[in-house]
Amino acid sequence: MTVDKVLDMLRTSAGEALTDPELRSRTVGVARPQEIKEVWAGISGQALVPAVRALADLAPLHLSVISGRDAGEDIELLYHLTVGYGTEGGEVLVTLRLMLPKTALRVPSLCGLIPGAETTEREKREFLGVAFEGITDDRNLFLPDDVTAHPWRADDEEIGGMVRRTVKWEERNAGT
Amino acid sequence: MQERKTTYEIPVGPIHPALKENIRFTFQVEGERIRSVDVKPGFVHRGIEYMGMRRNLIQVLYLSERICGICSISHPIVLTQAVEQAANIEVPPRAQYIRVIVSELERIHSHLLWAGVAAHELGFDTLLHLSWKVREKVMDILEELTGNRVDYALPIFGGVRRDIAAEQYPKLMEMIRYYRGLFEELSDTFLRDPSVEARTRDVGVLTPKEAHELCAVGPVARASGLRKDVRQDWPYLVYGDFDLTALTPEDHGVEVHGDVYDRIIVRLLEVAQSLDLVERCLREMPEGEITSFPKIPALLAYLKKAEGEGIGRHEAPRGEVIHYVRLEAGQEGPAVWKVKAPTYSNLMPWTPMFREQEIADIPIIAASIDPCMCCMDRVHVDRGDTREALDKQALLRLSWEKTRRVCG
Repeated sequence: MTVDKVLDMLRTSAGEALTDPELRSRTVGVARPQEIKEVWAGISGQALVPAVRALADLAPLHLSVISGRDAGEDIELLYHLTVGYGTEGGEVLVTLRLMLPKTALRVPSLCGLIPGAETTEREKREFLGVAFEGITDDRNLFLPDDVTAHPWRADDEEIGGMVRRTVKWEERNAGT
Repeated sequence: MQERKTTYEIPVGPIHPALKENIRFTFQVEGERIRSVDVKPGFVHRGIEYMGMRRNLIQVLYLSERICGICSISHPIVLTQAVEQAANIEVPPRAQYIRVIVSELERIHSHLLWAGVAAHELGFDTLLHLSWKVREKVMDILEELTGNRVDYALPIFGGVRRDIAAEQYPKLMEMIRYYRGLFEELSDTFLRDPSVEARTRDVGVLTPKEAHELCAVGPVARASGLRKDVRQDWPYLVYGDFDLTALTPEDHGVEVHGDVYDRIIVRLLEVAQSLDLVERCLREMPEGEITSFPKIPALLAYLKKAEGEGIGRHEAPRGEVIHYVRLEAGQEGPAVWKVKAPTYSNLMPWTPMFREQEIADIPIIAASIDPCMCCMDRVHVDRGDTREALDKQALLRLSWEKTRRVCG
């Protein structure tokens, strides 16, 4: 797989919803130095599933993880995908950036396309408060069942309370 | 007449029956058969990323070693890659080789540790003792090279902190010869022993389709026939120089079953592969600098001005590790640090592995992905009005009894 093919496929499938596509490169190796390029691009929530489907049609697709941050007015999600595993040096790293306004924290789930996306989507739901439409299971995963705070949100005032509740929860369970 | 309930719920954990790590499985069982399972991690969630975002990058580096004791070179290697990309830092060639050497030594000790655990779960403690006895050789070498058996404090942004001295080469070569001499014995004991085969063949199966769809990584994915290995697929450090191939059971000359037995095959083959890689690194490693930033204050000052994003990836013993880092000028620590460890990706593949298996197979299936969490020590069984508690020993006894039963 090549970065050009991946980028072409993203442009075709997402159209104008693909913003600021960029190829970043790094040089690796000593005896046989080579330049490894990776794709970074912005994308809209509506274009996410068609774009990921197009990548899955291109070559074996792997979702490494979704990372995210509180960017003030928005929540930023970064989908770290790889296209084309299984061949020597043939895998392309793709990062799709999605900005969601805090007033509308909803994004289509990738679970229908990549069932393994459930773990990382559940984590982003609990840590950042993003709702994934169509997710197969949206219970807390890493946080205790009764925690409703979102620890990675800068504007979440419940975090202090969450820490106190977690300590209490651990004490209660440690005694049983 | 009242209809009899035939399915029962068995919570296993947060006290883990197989390893000394915390996780909760809730099994729906019918008789001895597991019909479904719900997996709940998070009992040792320490908020390490949250802590990391409140420390400077050098502190974060040592914090990253403590994500996992067994993978204590993998996380720093990935974090340094991510920061080096974000801050545009070059790594001298010799340092790249040293990172690979220690990574492969870590793979050898991790796979041998796992082999011992798996043998214990099957009630084959002679094999546990053999595996852990021979593992000491690589632990000694790691201590020789880094000063520690785990948590090596070796990588630093821009290189490594310690060189490998000329007088240490013969010790590494002696270790390689030692393991090569043992390989036949280990393969024979694990792969041609009828009791190991009886307990692991066609147990905990993960099909290639399931492994792909559920984003399985590491030996779990490869044992299901996927040739998926970051070292092969996405060149980094000096792995791209080596024409490395991801190993599956086919490389052992057998058909892929995707079961626990195949996970043993893959890990054993990878021990031999790691020995070859270490030998090759020793042969080809050039002389030269080991870091582009010998002075830590200069490094910290440079990092404080850096701005950008970076991703690091590495094939740890258990599979793909990935870190994402965002640096903002003026901040000593990362604005964002996201860590993904292999077990995160291998959580979902557990579900199909457990389906339609027996309760006595829970320990070996749970252990077969080589999970990485912490442990407690108890199992509760609810059967209608009666409640009994099975401790770890009781569940292990069930597993050992099954070994004796199936092996006559």
